[in-house]
Amino acid sequence: MTADPGPVGFPPDALPPAAKLTERPHPLTPFIRGWVVLLAVVISIGREFLPNGEGSRPLPPLEIIFAVVAALAVAAGVAGYISWRFTRFIIDADELRVDTGAIFRRSIRIAFDKVQSIDVVQPFAARMFGLAELQIDIGSHERSKLRYLQLGRAYALRDYLLARARGYQAEAATTTRSVSLLTDLHETDEVLVQVLPQTLLLAAVTSHEFWGIVLGGLVFVTVGLAIGQWWVLLAAAVPTISGLFGFVSRRVTGQFNYTLSRREHGLRIARGLTSLTSQSLPARRVQAAQLSQSPLWRLLGLYRIDIEVIGWGAVTDNEDKSGVSTILLPAGSLAQVQVALAAIWPRADFTAVELSPAPLRARWLHPFSGPFLRWGHDQYLVVSRHGWLVRRWQLVPHARIQSVRVTQGLLSRRLGLADLEFHTAGMRIAAHASGVEAGVVLERQTELMALLHHPGPDVSEPFPPPTSDWSEARAQAGPEALRADQAEATISSTE
Amino acid sequence: MTDLFTPAADWQRLPDRYVTVRWLGALAYNLVTTLVGVLAVGFLFDWGWAGALALVGLAWTGWRVIRAGRWVRSFGYAERDEDLLITHGLWNKRLTAIPYGRMLSVNVESGPIDRAWGLARVELVTASVQSAGHIPGLQQADAAALRDRLIAAGEAQALPL
Repeated sequence: MTADPGPVGFPPDALPPAAKLTERPHPLTPFIRGWVVLLAVVISIGREFLPNGEGSRPLPPLEIIFAVVAALAVAAGVAGYISWRFTRFIIDADELRVDTGAIFRRSIRIAFDKVQSIDVVQPFAARMFGLAELQIDIGSHERSKLRYLQLGRAYALRDYLLARARGYQAEAATTTRSVSLLTDLHETDEVLVQVLPQTLLLAAVTSHEFWGIVLGGLVFVTVGLAIGQWWVLLAAAVPTISGLFGFVSRRVTGQFNYTLSRREHGLRIARGLTSLTSQSLPARRVQAAQLSQSPLWRLLGLYRIDIEVIGWGAVTDNEDKSGVSTILLPAGSLAQVQVALAAIWPRADFTAVELSPAPLRARWLHPFSGPFLRWGHDQYLVVSRHGWLVRRWQLVPHARIQSVRVTQGLLSRRLGLADLEFHTAGMRIAAHASGVEAGVVLERQTELMALLHHPGPDVSEPFPPPTSDWSEARAQAGPEALRADQAEATISSTE
Repeated sequence: MTDLFTPAADWQRLPDRYVTVRWLGALAYNLVTTLVGVLAVGFLFDWGWAGALALVGLAWTGWRVIRAGRWVRSFGYAERDEDLLITHGLWNKRLTAIPYGRMLSVNVESGPIDRAWGLARVELVTASVQSAGHIPGLQQADAAALRDRLIAAGEAQALPL
């Protein structure tokens, strides 16, 4: 890639000049960042004075308490003001820079074309003031954060940066057309999947995690009754019920109003009730996906999709944290699953992959999951299924597999079985197929490897290939240009 | 021969010298850990138990020394047109196939024992940490040549990440 961010075949002269933007965090930022700290300090000090059974300490006079709180507030305010005063976001035609720090100055400059995705996150405190945080993902473990901006500004900046990342000299807009407070949707957006709160609630109370907590409580109660101690009933009931309540509310509020939508620059997921997250989904960087289904979900026809994205190793995969998550679909029907997967891999259809069951003798090695083991592949995907209670499907596109391993232990050799591992760039979804007939592996080895080397058109490429001028240029250019072009496409489509 | 773990290819084996290196490695590691364990148990508890531990440690060392030769002979790698195959293991056999296009870098390492026998270890790095493409105990000249061939093949066949 050259320094020119324009895509191949896009005449640089035609680019409109971009406006210069120097952005300060919103003046309320120090308060929002500080209130959590203040609260924590107050709670931890306050706890010292709570009655704790061994003679509570006398409370200090009220004046002293007020003085301490006031001093803390002033100190936090001054620190916050200084940090606010020296923080600047510079966004113009040439650069994207974040300057912070009063004593230790720090200046981070990000190349526009390295921007992989941008997420708008609204923690609860910021949400109350209509502010939001912008997270810039450049594929490394550390995300640059611009916080806090007004929500409209944050969305506008996001759209601008994403356009720049795709190589367009977009006009830096000062506001955005986003209409809803809850969903970050334009009128032009195409909504692909929307999960209703009642579905989330139903999914939460029928999930295996929920019943795991119930079962834990029941075991405790049974033991208590068996030894004739009635108080155990209460001791078990309270944490179990609060645990269940917390679990369900986290699942529902965290994924509230889940919406997967497509805008001109790519896919976007918005969700959350108390803290709103709007994250962009870089389809090309999705390495693998895992569908899972709790036992009761089988009756309801619900599935959940988790994905593995390069460079998102540190992001959270559970529902209770705000921010970016690797959940592609918290709960949805098979049709929604297909739509969501088609959004990231338009060419692949996992339901069309022919799955072959593990042979009967695999049950010696996998007594519970044996009857449910399946695996298969087609031109685009490798699919394997596991699990006895919780059913899991692992989907990996051939184009994302880094290496393949066949393993065989002493027992499986005797049984004529083998296991396959598909290594992708990422640790969370370790795609594998267990209890495969050794003969089949031997037979398919060459075919699998050939698909690995020559995956054909990328699974993330939409079916009717775009007939813009630069895809033609790509077709005419030699192999060198092709490789450079793939890099371009990787960046531009990852918004 | 053609079976699940050695498909038809030009299989390269490790030099016999590497068996000696594995012996030494096993001896050095096992004897030191056994000694530390025996002394700790002896001083803290009872010398009778320490003696038992010493026997276990010696048996384990003997087992590793006996297995070293067979393990080295089980190891093989083959450079095919588009990928590198690595196979090893006696009880748990494994065959790993890494396409050249997926390689990010190739490392050559050589520890003090390796160097004394003129050996080196080649490691293929892909974007996946599970790939684990190690080839230990190559002669240094072979290792360097293998590295250069791998890099050349990787550059010629690069696949997008």
